[in-house]
Amino acid sequence: MLGGIYALLGIGLTLIFGIMRVVNFTHGELYSFGAYMMFMFVMLLHLDFFLSLVLATALGVALGAVIEFVLLRRLRGADIDTTMLVMIGAWIAMQNVEQLIWSGVAKSITSPFPSAPLVLGGISVAWSRLFVFAVALLLIAGTYALVDRTRIGRAMRATFQDGDTARLMGVDIDTTYLATFALGSGLAAAAGALLGPVFVVTPGMGDLAALKAFAIVILGGLGSILGATIGGFLLAFIEELGAGYLSSGYRDAMGFALIILVLLMRPTGLISRKDRIG
Amino acid sequence: MLRVEGLTCRYGKVAAVSELTLEVRQGELVALIGANGAGKTTTLKAISGLVAPVAGRLMFSGRDITGASARHILRLGIAHCPEGRRVFPYMTVLENLQMGSHLRRDRRQVAADMAGLLDRFPILRERRAQTAGTLSGGEQQLLAIARALMSRPKLVMFDEPSLGLAPTIVDRVFDVIKTIQAAGVTVIMVEQNAFAALELSDRAYVIEQGRLTLTGTGRDLLENPRVKAAYLGA
Ligand SMILES: Nc1ncnc2c1ncn2[C@@H]1O[C@H](COP(=O)(O)OP(=O)(O)O)[C@@H](O)[C@H]1O
Ligand SMILES: [Mg+2]
Repeated sequence: MLGGIYALLGIGLTLIFGIMRVVNFTHGELYSFGAYMMFMFVMLLHLDFFLSLVLATALGVALGAVIEFVLLRRLRGADIDTTMLVMIGAWIAMQNVEQLIWSGVAKSITSPFPSAPLVLGGISVAWSRLFVFAVALLLIAGTYALVDRTRIGRAMRATFQDGDTARLMGVDIDTTYLATFALGSGLAAAAGALLGPVFVVTPGMGDLAALKAFAIVILGGLGSILGATIGGFLLAFIEELGAGYLSSGYRDAMGFALIILVLLMRPTGLISRKDRIG
Repeated sequence: MLRVEGLTCRYGKVAAVSELTLEVRQGELVALIGANGAGKTTTLKAISGLVAPVAGRLMFSGRDITGASARHILRLGIAHCPEGRRVFPYMTVLENLQMGSHLRRDRRQVAADMAGLLDRFPILRERRAQTAGTLSGGEQQLLAIARALMSRPKLVMFDEPSLGLAPTIVDRVFDVIKTIQAAGVTVIMVEQNAFAALELSDRAYVIEQGRLTLTGTGRDLLENPRVKAAYLGA
């Protein structure tokens, strides 16, 4: 289940980095934003769970669009250090606003799934986890289709491969960047909205998520959707192994051990550049 | 059709093009020749909107296009086939052609144009599902030319179309460019291969260190002693 969520986070981040060359430090905040929106819609406004999921994701897309429009658009052509500092500032500001609004107390969201697990041939799976997994897979497939098959997806890939030539083809770079950042942010918010009801929601939850997303992007190779997908599932699998065979305390450390290993052996990530699609 | 008046472009403090004035008439094939670093590519980039001029004026079909976006200029009918081919390496041949028609909305006509170009360049049809990065240099150049044509330009600019290609393919590329002109499209061509460029062109401009130094018909310049000495190795 976590593999799907990690993959969503990683894909969002890798798209933004690959196409816009922006190291997006607000990624984790969009993840926690999705979770808090879910909390607000379900627990405070008593909206339908599934509708809330759609709304939280849509708001994530909108927030991403606002960040791109207000901050990043002004920084076009600025060097990577400046952009990075501004994004770090945005990250800290967003986290503090979140803490101000929601306080530091962990929130839980009730989910509509039956508490009795689904038992299939001796294996039992919680319905809520199954749901998260299925939706994550759906979103991953949707992102693939968008990038691979649509006009805006083609514009994204063209911009990624050769920005100047994409402009010569009439690609509107501003629109492409806006769409990319909004899409990546929407995926992060969706991941948070999906996982919030499974665990609890806290203001710091985005930090660990972002750290893992960066790890996945490095693992999969910068700018590779396929790499981020594989990286996400691999990270979840390794964490599970580490938690199961060593100690659950090692869960979060396992991933990073793996990354150090990959970077030592294949510095360009698991997927080489020629296989990248987005 | 196209007038460039007093064009000046800078990269930081370095002037790449200084007060360049030239004109291209409807249906002409105009060549720009000059040594490496003379400012030919920068001139084309200014016309297509990739580089913003610091001074001067660009007029196309009676419209002022100075400082307009690349997108707007393409929409008005100027296509730019860039130096070094610049096909999208991880996109298929078909996707590259689709990028050429990115701004067009007439889907049926786009499909017909694409079919027409694939008939004209059978090697591209053969390789249509391959990523462009796997093509040979000559195939990539044909793809870059076909991609530029997919926008149905009125004026198309080729930057060093023969660069790095085998001699037999160079002839083919020049043939294709001549055919494009014959079909009624106005052409600007930048070439290191000055002899071929002058032979092919109706008129030519010689650029040195960002400035215009000579202009005339291709034939006149072929006979010009200065051109002979500097560019034709005679
Ligand atoms: N992106 C760039 N940044 C800085 N200087 C550049 C850039 N592109 C070209 N130049 C400089 O501008 C001048 C003209 O270059 P260019 O237009 O590419 O010439 P040409 O196409 O005739 O070889 C050269 O001196 C070159 O070094
Ligand atoms: Mg050049």
